[in-house]
Amino acid sequence: MSESTARVKALAAHEYRAAVRSKILLVLLGILVTITVVSVYVAAVDHRSKVADYAAYRAAAQASGLARIAPSTLAPLSLLRGALEYLEIIGAVVAITLGYLTVSRERANRTLTLIRSRPVTAGELASGSLLGAVGLFTTLVAATTIVGVVCVGLIGNDWINAAQGFKLLLAAIAAIIYLGAFYCVGAIATANTRVAANGLMIALGIWLLVVLILPQLGDTLDADNQIPGGLFKALTLDRAGETEILKHFSTYETTRISIEEASFAKHYERFAFAMTEVQDKYRGFSLGRLLGAKRNDIGWMIFYSFALVFGLRWSFRRQPTIPQETT
Amino acid sequence: MGNHVMTETEQPSAPAIELEALCHSYGDTEVLRHIDLRIEHGEIFGFLGHNGAGKTTAVNILTTLIAPTAGTAKVCGFDVAAQRHEVTSRIGYLPADVRMYPHLTARENVEFFAKLSGVKKPSTAVDETFEYLSCSDLADKRVGSFSTGMRQRVGIAQAIVHRPQVLFLDEPTSGLDPVGVRQLRETIIRLNADLGMTVFMNTHLLSEVAKVCTTIGVLDHGELIYKDTIAATTERFPDETSLEDIYVRMERSAS
Repeated sequence: MSESTARVKALAAHEYRAAVRSKILLVLLGILVTITVVSVYVAAVDHRSKVADYAAYRAAAQASGLARIAPSTLAPLSLLRGALEYLEIIGAVVAITLGYLTVSRERANRTLTLIRSRPVTAGELASGSLLGAVGLFTTLVAATTIVGVVCVGLIGNDWINAAQGFKLLLAAIAAIIYLGAFYCVGAIATANTRVAANGLMIALGIWLLVVLILPQLGDTLDADNQIPGGLFKALTLDRAGETEILKHFSTYETTRISIEEASFAKHYERFAFAMTEVQDKYRGFSLGRLLGAKRNDIGWMIFYSFALVFGLRWSFRRQPTIPQETT
Repeated sequence: MGNHVMTETEQPSAPAIELEALCHSYGDTEVLRHIDLRIEHGEIFGFLGHNGAGKTTAVNILTTLIAPTAGTAKVCGFDVAAQRHEVTSRIGYLPADVRMYPHLTARENVEFFAKLSGVKKPSTAVDETFEYLSCSDLADKRVGSFSTGMRQRVGIAQAIVHRPQVLFLDEPTSGLDPVGVRQLRETIIRLNADLGMTVFMNTHLLSEVAKVCTTIGVLDHGELIYKDTIAATTERFPDETSLEDIYVRMERSAS
């Protein structure tokens, strides 16, 4: 192990340990895990009766000698929808808080001075801190995913298969990347402000915009969402007809899509909802087809992640090593 | 007490610290003005000056925390601006008002900094350092519950755990009681005698400087107005009874 790798590892372990000893962070994590588990539990209870109904239908169909039995349309992974949404909204707040604490802690303790008087580069400091945070997010996502799957299996009486498990794994990786991105937002905003609390406020403003406002704007402006059940369905138009009509509103559509594309949260949500079959249209897709359909969201997530990691390194390089503000 | 980072055979011919026409400004305010200074290995250097004289800025430059506006600063022959890694591998630093991580134990704090300095066996190094400083009883207690004196000892431990060649201490006695001041004084002398560490110490306590330092420098409004050994200084000012009197006389002459 090179000296640089050893330093990054030490910084990552330090970040992880500081995070799990932070009371405010533990409270936020506790809230997130509790509501996530409750949401999956409630969905699983409801799902259990649907599984029983389908089993009864299947038994009755077999008994009556029906030649063709309709396959189940139940999607056990979709029970995790609540968990994904809470992770998207509250998880991002947890990640921002951790990013803020990383920077403000070093300032308040005046330990940034001690760290930078060691042979530690700003890049190593950024990488170590981010890896420590990612370690925490991995623990969080793994725990909620395992509890969710067990809930779906035991309470919902519907165990997921290997293919679904792999899709869930990809959704979990996306969740970790998503949380890592918001960690960067919190740390970047705090590192670039003299008063750390102002950085937290800026980061929460970005969260409000990216997680709540932009996706909602995109949805509200969607022509198809103007009446319940879908405008084009009500007009009995197929996909070709819908495309033909939208051609006449190309500027409007481009603006609306751009608003949605600007949101990292929207890309994560689209990807995670597709992988967990929350969106009906992706049910039964093979993994290859699914990844092909979601390549745009994958590309944007990678782009945003790289940009934020670069921003984190840049911010850590330019932040003053001599404490100027401690709160 | 072993050497964990630097090899004992490493004996650079360059001076421990060398400043040439060093300048630093914060905006329009000039804090350091064309300072030339040379400190040899093995010296205990006391850097004196009133508040705002520029002592801490000089230490911040020498520890690579800020870059000089003009001139050069070298530690063990390495330029602080261009060879940051080489410099930081050879120095230990105890800033004024050190706080450390309050939620960690003293051992965890020092071990973290040992790892950052590339110490091969951090746990062993930490144990040896605490033993050397006679503060093993503090090792497994959280730093958040420590008094200023206890925290200062942990601060010293983190500064020397990697056995640096040059140790920078910024106002190390501030906030310490007389017993703490005496312990610190003894520690500095031992570090210098046992490990051959060069010590660069910013301080206000002239009585301590007289008891600990081999050389002094006086900074006044960013200018180095005096530098010599303690022995030469007392010879040069035979009419003054204490270093304090000498210092006051120098400051008056400068102004």
